Amino acid sequence: MSMNGSETGGRLLGTARAGTIESMDCLVTISGSNGGRRIEISGAGAARFKEAMELKINEVLDRLSAPDVKVSVQDNGALDIVLGARVEAAVARYLGGGRS
Amino acid sequence: MALNAVHRNIPESIDGYGDTSGRLFEGAFARQPEGRKHGAKLRSVLPGGQQKQLKGIKEAIAASGLKSGMTISFHHHLRNGDYVVNMVLDACAEMGIRDLTLFPTALFGVHKALITHIGSGVISRILGSVNGPIGVLVSEGGMVAPVVLRSHGGRPRAVMAGDVRIDVAFIAAPTADSGGNISGRFGKSACGSIGYAFTDAEYADCVVAITDNLQPYPISNVSIPGIFIDFIVQIDSIGDPAGIVSGTTRVTRDPLRLMIAKYASRLIESSPYFSDGFGFQTGAGGIPLAVTAHIKEGMKRRGIKASFGLGGITGYFVDLLKEGFVEKLLDVQSFDLDAVKSIASDARHIEISADWYANPWNLGSAVNALDAVILGATEVDRDFNVNVNTEADGALLHGIGGHQDTAAGASLTIIAQPLLRGRIPCVVDRVHTVTTPGEVVDALVTEFGVTINPRRQDLIDAFKEARYGDTVPFVPMDELVVRAKRMSGPMSPIRTTDRIVGVVEWRDGTVIDVIRQIERRLQS
Amino acid sequence: MRRTMLYLPGNNPNMLMRGYLFRPDGLILDLEDSVTASEKDAARILVREVLANREFGECEVTVRINGVDTELWRDDISSVVPAGAAGIRVPKVDTPRTVLDIDEELSEVESRSGIPQGSTKIFCLLESALGVWNAYDIATSSKRVAAIIPGGEDLAADLRANRSADGVELEWVRRMMIVAARAAGVDALDTVYPRITDDDGLRREAEFTKKLGFDGKSVIHPGQIQIIHEVYTPTEREVESAKRIVAAAREAASRGRGAVTVDGRMVDLPVVRRAEFTLTRAGIAFGEPEETPDGERRG
Repeated sequence: MSMNGSETGGRLLGTARAGTIESMDCLVTISGSNGGRRIEISGAGAARFKEAMELKINEVLDRLSAPDVKVSVQDNGALDIVLGARVEAAVARYLGGGRS
Repeated sequence: MALNAVHRNIPESIDGYGDTSGRLFEGAFARQPEGRKHGAKLRSVLPGGQQKQLKGIKEAIAASGLKSGMTISFHHHLRNGDYVVNMVLDACAEMGIRDLTLFPTALFGVHKALITHIGSGVISRILGSVNGPIGVLVSEGGMVAPVVLRSHGGRPRAVMAGDVRIDVAFIAAPTADSGGNISGRFGKSACGSIGYAFTDAEYADCVVAITDNLQPYPISNVSIPGIFIDFIVQIDSIGDPAGIVSGTTRVTRDPLRLMIAKYASRLIESSPYFSDGFGFQTGAGGIPLAVTAHIKEGMKRRGIKASFGLGGITGYFVDLLKEGFVEKLLDVQSFDLDAVKSIASDARHIEISADWYANPWNLGSAVNALDAVILGATEVDRDFNVNVNTEADGALLHGIGGHQDTAAGASLTIIAQPLLRGRIPCVVDRVHTVTTPGEVVDALVTEFGVTINPRRQDLIDAFKEARYGDTVPFVPMDELVVRAKRMSGPMSPIRTTDRIVGVVEWRDGTVIDVIRQIERRLQS
Repeated sequence: MRRTMLYLPGNNPNMLMRGYLFRPDGLILDLEDSVTASEKDAARILVREVLANREFGECEVTVRINGVDTELWRDDISSVVPAGAAGIRVPKVDTPRTVLDIDEELSEVESRSGIPQGSTKIFCLLESALGVWNAYDIATSSKRVAAIIPGGEDLAADLRANRSADGVELEWVRRMMIVAARAAGVDALDTVYPRITDDDGLRREAEFTKKLGFDGKSVIHPGQIQIIHEVYTPTEREVESAKRIVAAAREAASRGRGAVTVDGRMVDLPVVRRAEFTLTRAGIAFGEPEETPDGERRG
């Protein structure tokens, strides 16, 4: 995990990560976005689960009222509940869990 | 378009393959042979006649009469260590030979070098399995003619029936003598059995043996006698030993897969076939190897012995032979060093050809004697149809191997596979590609338990009779499908074009399915 | 039944989601030792989500939280209890005070999330000499306490002993644990057997602790489950005897009598209970007396 951002002018910079690239897990990276929410998915689930994964990511970001961020997922077969947990952990870290 | 017996829409004519009318899959044992075998050209060598040994691969190519547009064949016993396929095609390219049909028994990752020759037109067609980068290339539409996939038994059948005529067979030979007798058992590139090369040697119009261990005439323990061999070429090295045989094949350590192996073994033990003198095949995958270990314990408990182990042979099977749990090994392919050593030294360890192993059109191949076989799958559907060829994104990345043949031959065919690979379910409503029809698949074993094909009520009864209770759960197929869907969530469909990039033949030469071009493959 | 309770590392999705497939009697989703300090936050979220998914077969699902000597334990509880943990395994319980703190926190979380008061159980890990000495007081300090469990490595260190193959250093602790648990009316569960490739050693230890009276054992590798279940599976003779006792007791009850004799021995309530327990372990249902279906009865 890394949290090397700082708050400038009310907007967060830097990145935060959660998860791993172990089997049935995924590595989620959250970083700042200049406009709108962006989602990038690569890895095992990308071919057949892209839509389902985007749906889940959006649902978690909405539930957490997350600001506009870029979400990158490197997937190794994470089921929805794991993906959701990793996105939530990464967002929490991004928003200043303050841990590095 | 017409529907075949597994409800697949097959066009009446496929570009680069031909007419399919009269060759649609109609059932596992529906098509029976007619007519006579198609043999090789008659040739002779006079007493004191010509020297078979030539200086190099190019000389051999020239002597063989190989021309543009012809068909050349190779075996895959050197697996990922093979140098010969790439060397021969490089030489063909340099000699200006083009438009070749490649007819290998299988290709491996090391053969990705062939992509250059596909691009430049030296190779225009592949009749055989593709994987790795070549598989991706084919799947994305990078070849003009579709690849044709045949099983280990379907391939020799196609040769004998005249579906494929081999102009020149290039046979990598770990040991050869000046008379052309060859063996896979000895030499620095020893690979054990060279069973996949037998039919090619017998039916090709010209046969070139390529060796890195030329011995005085005659050698003992001959795999293929010199009566079939036209030319011999000696080179420095035919392959990298590290890629030819793995040091040791290993049982899986994943507790989930071990549990699946235990369930599969219990299913075999509950069946009427598990009695003195049974024959079985487990292969070299992590789960099958673990099944072998469990079956040994089962044999001990029951006080029985197996009469033979079949197929690709590993050190685990060799141990069973040495310990007296198995009386003979029928070896078409030796997977590891222990197997290579054993076949070279133990008369009970028998080298068999692909024809003997699996051809449906001879007078009884070894698969017919199988009581039980453990196989894998990328997908299984409600009807127990199995896909081993295409991946979740539709890419053609695996050959058929002996899947069709052993499934058709064995009394008890078991697919052993985790229900999910990552998020991707292995049990689906309808497989993307049918490799093996459900009519010859008897059971599926996953981490959720044993699922038996409803057409095998006898096996269901025998399994329930064994009263394993909670220790080996029984799961109906419907429940498994629902569970897989619930866990993995909705899948987006595979996007394909109409263009056919692969034809999957059933072992009898009928078309069981076709594989269509996918959009550009995502890197994963 | 708590013959086997399998520890699952709290930040490992593969294990968390598939552990129940090995059919232990219980699961312990671990937020403590198997999770590094930097991943405590992510593991807590993951464990919460996996709990909420409720895909655990027949397993009793508990969570090992971080110790009361950390700043994490309250957040652990408020995450996992509303998500559906049936119990909390608490490390380093030295005195009843720890249990009371946990009990109080659980009550608060339960009332906040609409969970019936007192339904979340506490499993106490006694990992110090003081904890073992206080075993009975700890086990009786709250109605939530379901079991006491001796520690392994930590306890041995606190006793200034080394862990040995025959476990002699924990022998007295284990006997003590049984007495305290039985006196308090809670389960006695054994510590893990750490040598995961030594099946024979595991079997010996499980046989020994079963003989002492333990209800089960913590498990760190799925491969250990089957062996322990085999040890705890009653023999055919035990099952037959238990069947006769239960049948005789039912017969007596249906005639309105209390005590009966079976095999020349007086059978009273505790004996019947133990026989029923034997049948449960053997996987034989005894709850429903066998009856002829109504249709047949009507002829």
